[in-house]
Amino acid sequence: MSTEEIGIIHFRGVTKKFGTHLALSDVSFDVKKGEFVFITGPSGAGKTTILKIILGELTPDVGEATVDGFNVKTLGSKDLPLFRQKIGTVFQDFKVLPERTVYENVSVALAVIGLPENVWQERVTHVLKLAGLSRQINLFPSQLSGGELQRVSLARALVVNPKIILADEPTGNLDWETSDNLMQLFEKINAEGKTIIMATHNLDIVKKYKKRTINIVGGKMTSNEK
Amino acid sequence: MNIHFKTAWDYIRRSPFQALAATFVLSLTFFVATLVSVLVYSSSKLITYFETRPQVIAFLKDTASDNDIANLQHKLQTNPKIQDVKYVSKEEALSIYKNATSDNPLLGQLVSPSIFPASLEFSVTDLSYAQTAIDSVKSEPIVDSVGFTAALGGETSLNQVVARLRTITTYVKIGGVVFVGLLAITSLVVLLTIISMRIVGRKEEVEILNLIGATQGFIRSPIIIEAFIYTAFGIVLGWAIAFIAILYLAPTAVSYFGEIPILPESALGIFELFGIIFIGEILIGLVLALSGSLLAISRVKKER
Repeated sequence: MSTEEIGIIHFRGVTKKFGTHLALSDVSFDVKKGEFVFITGPSGAGKTTILKIILGELTPDVGEATVDGFNVKTLGSKDLPLFRQKIGTVFQDFKVLPERTVYENVSVALAVIGLPENVWQERVTHVLKLAGLSRQINLFPSQLSGGELQRVSLARALVVNPKIILADEPTGNLDWETSDNLMQLFEKINAEGKTIIMATHNLDIVKKYKKRTINIVGGKMTSNEK
Repeated sequence: MNIHFKTAWDYIRRSPFQALAATFVLSLTFFVATLVSVLVYSSSKLITYFETRPQVIAFLKDTASDNDIANLQHKLQTNPKIQDVKYVSKEEALSIYKNATSDNPLLGQLVSPSIFPASLEFSVTDLSYAQTAIDSVKSEPIVDSVGFTAALGGETSLNQVVARLRTITTYVKIGGVVFVGLLAITSLVVLLTIISMRIVGRKEEVEILNLIGATQGFIRSPIIIEAFIYTAFGIVLGWAIAFIAILYLAPTAVSYFGEIPILPESALGIFELFGIIFIGEILIGLVLALSGSLLAISRVKKER
């Protein structure tokens, strides 16, 4: 079986420019199903651009990006929501709805995929338990710590049972202990067969968890190794 | 509760003054629309009354014999365009006069039947025939003069009366439509502004929803529902206040216009009239809410 066949994400010579700034230059890599991949590099290297392309937020200027069989460049505006529903995203700045409770923040993802309301509670409760947020279920984001907010973001990503989880600097705003706890949670999720792509510049985490690492510097891929 | 409705309701609760502004303007619009609708209905009824019931009175000469009167009466009765032919004798004319001056009995005592002419009263089925009928009756040798009811002042013919009423009704209709139209445009602008503000306020939420795969329909639903809630409140409040006001004023108006049915006579008729107005306003409200919210949404640029 070739890499193409078992892979879920394929980047082929992807180049992306913002005006005259070259964000990505000729980046190529594959990610297999169930793989956990770190994308590392200094700030502004192009890590988030890669994640945004995978999520269909940006399209490559040159090259091709394929995610779960969808060519990101040719995705129509009607296909985009359905495409994104297959991807769970954990954001560095959490992106939780400030005026919604933890329960509502997670259940909104189920509403988005059109799941009937009578199954929400079971799924949300399960995923919040997994994320260690059972006691915070009725709290608002303003009442949560950074680590808890990041876990809400992760719970929302997980609840829809996505094929791929993208995490953009999920530990960026967290202390070491909280980051480590969160990473253990990611490991657990990965062990269940989810593909995880995590952008991070936290080398301590990269060293500890020993996953395949794609290093980006100045928009160019400098290494792709385990 | 449906998630979209809940979201819309939460946003309304969080910005009560914006919600009040929208509801107030929409209520005012639908209040005026209800009043204008009733005014148009009443004026139409008024003109219909005069069109279908133009009472013509042919005053007879004192020299007219009973036979001549009977012949003329028969001639009028056999004309298919003339109806309700009625002979009013001098004595009956006096009785009508006394009834009309009952608040001043002295006036009734000072007159005798001999000063009142006998008359033949009739109406025409078709207004266009009224002047012909009047001219025809005028030419009868036993007829002294011909009068008609409902002169508003200065009109010399029934056609002029109806023409004047038609002009008034047209002014009421045009004025009403222009006024309600202006209010509707104001409502639309207010709705557009408030919904646009809401969209700007929801920018972060919209961005998050987009990123987690929400469809445009999912994102737009609470916005459209919010516009519908404002409009629904506006319609119900505006309509109900106008309904109560008209019910309060109806006895005075009905008594002023006497036998002219400017409002439905039965309670069922009143509810029917207001029911039709309510349904009409719901349809207008649907258009307002949809156009206001969709216009506001269209102003938001697509993310990708």
